[in-house]
Amino acid sequence: MHLAHAFPTSALCASLFATGLLAEPQHFSLAEKLLLIALIVASAWLFWKRFGVVVDKILHSRKDPGFQLFPIGKRVWDFFWEVLCQAKVIRERPLPGLAHAFVFWSFLAFALVTLNHVAVGLGIGFLNPAGAFGRIYYWFAAAFALACAVSIAGLFIRRFFVRPIWLSREGHAISYESGVIAGLIFALMATYLAAFFVTDSSLAARLLWWAHTLSLVVFLPLVPHTKHLHLILSPVTIFLSRGSFSQIPPLVGDEDFGLVTGKDLTQLVSLQAYSCVECGRCTEHCPAANTGKSLNPKEIILGVRGYLNEFGPTAEELLLGKYNSQEAAFQCTTCGACEFQCPVGIEHVPIIVGLRRGAVNTGAWEDSHGTKLFLAMERNSNALGMSSAERDKFVQKQELPIFDGSQEYCLWLGCMGGYDPKGREIISSFVEVMRYLGTSYGVLRKEKCTGDPARRLGNDLVFQELAESNLEMMTQQKVKKIVSICPHCVRTIQEDWKDFGAPPEIEHHSEFLARHHARLPHQNTGEKIVYHDPCYLGRYRNVYDEPRTVIAAAGTLVEAERNRERSFCCGAGGGLAFLGEEQGQRVSAVRAQELVATGATTIGAACPFCNTMFRDALASSGENSPRLLDIAQIAANQIKAAPSQ
Amino acid sequence: MKIIVAIKQVPERDARIRIDAEAKWIDLRDVEFMMNESDAYALEEALQLKEAHGGEVVVLSAGPERVGKTIREALAKGADRAIHIESDDLAGYDALGVASLLAAAIREDDGEDPDLILTGLQSDDLGLGQTGVILAELLNLPHASLILKIEKTGSGIKVLRELEDGWFQHLELPAPAVLTIQSGNSKLRYATLMGIKRAKTKEVRRVTVADLITVDPGAKPADPVVQLDRVSLPSKQRTTQILSGSPAEAAAALVEKLQFEVRAL
Repeated sequence: MHLAHAFPTSALCASLFATGLLAEPQHFSLAEKLLLIALIVASAWLFWKRFGVVVDKILHSRKDPGFQLFPIGKRVWDFFWEVLCQAKVIRERPLPGLAHAFVFWSFLAFALVTLNHVAVGLGIGFLNPAGAFGRIYYWFAAAFALACAVSIAGLFIRRFFVRPIWLSREGHAISYESGVIAGLIFALMATYLAAFFVTDSSLAARLLWWAHTLSLVVFLPLVPHTKHLHLILSPVTIFLSRGSFSQIPPLVGDEDFGLVTGKDLTQLVSLQAYSCVECGRCTEHCPAANTGKSLNPKEIILGVRGYLNEFGPTAEELLLGKYNSQEAAFQCTTCGACEFQCPVGIEHVPIIVGLRRGAVNTGAWEDSHGTKLFLAMERNSNALGMSSAERDKFVQKQELPIFDGSQEYCLWLGCMGGYDPKGREIISSFVEVMRYLGTSYGVLRKEKCTGDPARRLGNDLVFQELAESNLEMMTQQKVKKIVSICPHCVRTIQEDWKDFGAPPEIEHHSEFLARHHARLPHQNTGEKIVYHDPCYLGRYRNVYDEPRTVIAAAGTLVEAERNRERSFCCGAGGGLAFLGEEQGQRVSAVRAQELVATGATTIGAACPFCNTMFRDALASSGENSPRLLDIAQIAANQIKAAPSQ
Repeated sequence: MKIIVAIKQVPERDARIRIDAEAKWIDLRDVEFMMNESDAYALEEALQLKEAHGGEVVVLSAGPERVGKTIREALAKGADRAIHIESDDLAGYDALGVASLLAAAIREDDGEDPDLILTGLQSDDLGLGQTGVILAELLNLPHASLILKIEKTGSGIKVLRELEDGWFQHLELPAPAVLTIQSGNSKLRYATLMGIKRAKTKEVRRVTVADLITVDPGAKPADPVVQLDRVSLPSKQRTTQILSGSPAEAAAALVEKLQFEVRAL
């Protein structure tokens, strides 16, 4: 209040207006003008020499099957939020993110300044520094220039002195050109700001003008030659995303088997490959990269770029070869942490799944665990390779009613719920809750795997057969609403089956439990319970609060270090629960340790795959490990504990 | 190398079996079918020989229309073409009858004579283990059964045969020959999308029993000498044994039981 009184706004403005104006050299000789034109032409030519090649490679890639520009609303919003507001960049790494945002906003503010700067050199300047608009605008730009100069200097220090490991690449030094670019940006800002302190006619003004111009003409061709290509491409990439998280594109025609050779790279894949800014956020969150595996999502994308640079989008060279390895592609748990926080709109999971499709659909992938899984799914129609009679026995023993169209819900057991002992316990607990609530439900007489492991491992034949046969069965049985204990089943039925028909409505049991929360008995024991966000429930379905509601009613909810959208995978997704994890540490063990470190006495899970992974990890970790319960079990325990009515 | 693989389609191994009203066979409604397991291994052996030595793999199967699915699966895994002997009443034949049909189809198949004829050791449904052996007799070819491994030699083939009690036998045979293959020695491959798409363009020649007899009157199956009297579900027994002694002794006893009584190891 004191300050406002001492410096009224009007007085502040007046003082600003009275001081420095941006100096502009007045007359340019013909020689200077010709030199300027020559520099601009040379700069533009060098720019296009590389940028033209990139555009050509993107445009000559295959068209994306199933791509639709409309509905456009979400695209506009993503562009506004992620590009203009820089929301993802800031959210992920607040300080460097904000620094980046200031550089970006300065570039936007400088568009007009730069245009006028060049025009002045040609004698056609249009923004008078002494005019009312000019004054305000140049001061406005100056504020950004100051912020930008500080930011870029900070980013320079971070990259070359603090050196976060995510910015380096194996076998590559930290890119020196980033330093050159940072220097140029700093020079642009410094030369601009300095021009406020000299007069129009001074030699200094002329020298500053030329220094600014030189920085510009050197900067421009560097953009397409370095990762700074993202300046131009990433806004387009974000606008043209596939539309939803981890959306696996359909295969079209008889010759489409996924990403086999360069010919299979689509325009979006190529665009994304050239957009990568090598920031390493994907690597930072990747469960494979963090446990010593060969897979590094950043390298997958840069591998595709390397392939495009060397072989191009019409080559018949295999994609899993010189630049990317089959081993790495099959270490992905499809947890989506990479894709979720990529600031330039790269969709890693469809690309990795695409590479797997290319290897599996052509028979190139030979893996004894994988073959066993596929044969089990072909022959037994469940991922565990058990006889369907085992499921029948469980259904009979638990006296689960058979769905006949009269019940409200079809309870989907899934492979884990139908065959796995721990999964069956979850089903039994959830059934107890439904019985308590008086909800009518039934299970299908016959049920096949949703095809999730095959889908993520790239076996489209097995996936299609399972999806089609399940969809046919559901149509016959007139299934309208499904509830499932498995986030993988939920995702696959709701999204992936769409390629073959219209799946019924489905929800995860956490959503069901949260909706009926008020009607369930609660007795909070105060016990510390840590909740683990399953990837397929959190990032894939955006369900974070519902399971927490269930847990918070039973005890004291505690959070692991990595939680919600940054949750760390259990290691099971992408069919990996069925493969051998031999390289590095086990993902499940790393995550289990994190959960144990919270000091919780119970781990609350919401996915039978997470459950089975943690069960094994905890068993090998020691004696005083916490209890492991699904949220359905937590809810059912409260019914048992409640005084009978 | 031309290899013919005779494949049978059988009810899915884990299918819930019900006996039909006349107790002559299982109720086939609501049953899914699959490739007989040891035939799948015979196909795998054939494909591996083709990959090593070149040539073609021809699938031969008899049965109603539904058999087409199993034939397509074999083509998808890499067989080059197929012969489908169409017959809706295959259950009416005995092993000799089925073998005469297969033999006739092999004889009248165009082009060169096969270098090898492979089939599974026995079918998962009837388990007679006769068809392959009779087929060899009808074709007047040498044969060996329970084969685990096949190697091509200069003049013929070298095979590894499984005997009882962990014993094996190495044999050399002249080619052509008929071999019945034991399950489990090699790793089966999974069917791929590319395989299925390629299979669409592969030739499946359909012949009827009448066609075969017209070309070769000797193909006419004799009246069955073996007849199915009746089928029944096996009775289930549950017994529990408590293994006493120290943990080490109990474990040793368990291993022995699993190995020699249950034969699960």
